[in-house]
Amino acid sequence: MRQRHRERVLGFLRTIQKPDRPLDTVAETDSLVESGLIDSLALLEIVAFLEEQYRIDFAAIGLEPEQLTSMSGILDLIEREAR
Amino acid sequence: MRNGHEEARVLLTVGELSEPLTGRHWDAPVVTREVSARAARYRRGGLRPGDRVFLHFGNRLEFFAELLAIWRLGGVAVPVDGALTRVELERLAETVAPRFSVVDDATDGAIARALPPGTTVLDATESLPPPDLHAVLPEDGARPACDALVLFTSGSSGVPKGVVHTHASLAARWSALRRELGLAAYARTLCLLPTHFGHGLICNSLFPWLAGQDLFITPPFRPDLLLRLGAIIDEHRISFLSSVPAMWRLAIRVARPPRGGTLRRVHCGSAPLPATLWESVREWSGTPEVFNTYGLTETGSWVAGTSGGEFTPADGLIGPPWGAILHVQRPGDAIPCAAGEIGQVWIESPALMRGYLGQDDLTRQAIQGGRFATGDLGLLDARGWLHLRGRERDEINKGGLKISPAEVDAAAEGCRRVADVCAFAVDDPLYGQNVGLAVALTEPDDAAVRELYGWIRERLAEGKLPARWWLVDAIPRSERGKVSREAVREACAGRPPLDLTRILQGR
Repeated sequence: MRQRHRERVLGFLRTIQKPDRPLDTVAETDSLVESGLIDSLALLEIVAFLEEQYRIDFAAIGLEPEQLTSMSGILDLIEREAR
Repeated sequence: MRNGHEEARVLLTVGELSEPLTGRHWDAPVVTREVSARAARYRRGGLRPGDRVFLHFGNRLEFFAELLAIWRLGGVAVPVDGALTRVELERLAETVAPRFSVVDDATDGAIARALPPGTTVLDATESLPPPDLHAVLPEDGARPACDALVLFTSGSSGVPKGVVHTHASLAARWSALRRELGLAAYARTLCLLPTHFGHGLICNSLFPWLAGQDLFITPPFRPDLLLRLGAIIDEHRISFLSSVPAMWRLAIRVARPPRGGTLRRVHCGSAPLPATLWESVREWSGTPEVFNTYGLTETGSWVAGTSGGEFTPADGLIGPPWGAILHVQRPGDAIPCAAGEIGQVWIESPALMRGYLGQDDLTRQAIQGGRFATGDLGLLDARGWLHLRGRERDEINKGGLKISPAEVDAAAEGCRRVADVCAFAVDDPLYGQNVGLAVALTEPDDAAVRELYGWIRERLAEGKLPARWWLVDAIPRSERGKVSREAVREACAGRPPLDLTRILQGR
């Protein structure tokens, strides 16, 4: 299941990433922003994606932004909160 | 701000400064000491009245101390975006001819190479000896008619415009806002906007802070702050914040609303605020006083807003003027439009800029008979409230960042692979608008696209880079060589943009 989520999130990241940064070189625990893959505002696009695709209610769960900084953090969040 | 002694009086009225993210805090005596120490440093360095000083950083305590220190000695502060490319900075430096350039610990060390010889680089974070207060209150300091501030905006010709405000024009803006809006709601003001923008600096920050209210300053547009916005408002008992619509589109989705009941007023400006979003912000913030504000850097920012009592949010609704006379005129002449008739919006105000730095012809075009041509279209209703109905000029409004498509064109045109190019606004769910680019290449292949991308990246700050690209055979032009950006946008709209990620990564 995690692998399926991973493919889905990767597909989304490809639509918002900076075009000159190779996604494949970013490790699962690397910071997506600090690695230069996305700009910091794009984190909010990830929030919108997770809300729509996984029905995660961020206003209700009191999100800590650190949970969204890496692929592994995002996948953990999906496994914990997706409905 | 009239002379050295009144400068000292202004310093006594500053409020407290705090950084919610770091927990750093300066009360008014610390601010005074910091300003004095920095003024002494500038004096030792030979700053003379009228000298210009680049500030390459912002949104932190030291920025405000540097600003007041520069003003104390009659200098002119020029805050610039720390993300400018070297090419952009070189162009600004040519116009500004800075005497000093102030950096912080996050500034790219390479900026020194973009500065003219003889510019002294200072570090705003270095510790300074305690000031001798008597040594830093010169009689020849700032006077009302002296230049105080230069803020750069995107120019319609592709050359950035340096908007020059004097101490008198800034004081007129603050005085008008105080008269029209009072101070009570601004007692604890949060600024999330960049301090190199007129909206963020002149109005969101300096208007309350220089009237003795407390200012809470954060790095601009940080998503982690937006996610915690409700909590920050509660923790710091924030009574006021200003913002742009793009910020609210996200904050109301991802941040829990404030619960402490401290938020009394919210301003939203720099981009159109749809009525539905306006209602959502009211609901989230818990205050009916969500004012849609209107203003340009040239007018000292906020010049009108929805402060006149009861109102129902509506697309384009702005409200009554704040310390200005709003004129709506028929295009081509100065005949005023009737109530309800759409025309060009002109503004008359003692807070108007002195002009554009080194661009007298442009200044004469922009200010005619004491009125500033905003480039906006709108109407005045029977109450004299302003309603906006669009813009006359090409401009891309990316979440409040105004980008001239001509500037993007100019950055691309010098690339040897480009035959013709046209930038234009595309709709964007996050920012409202973003930058689209249609380009005709001499040889339309992936290598040329890669070369052009690298070329533009060296010449435009990241926020201005085109987000969507289209390859075209030619850019349609009129017989006189004019391009209709709207026609190009429409021609591209039906076709998918380039897969830039695939091309740049050589897949």
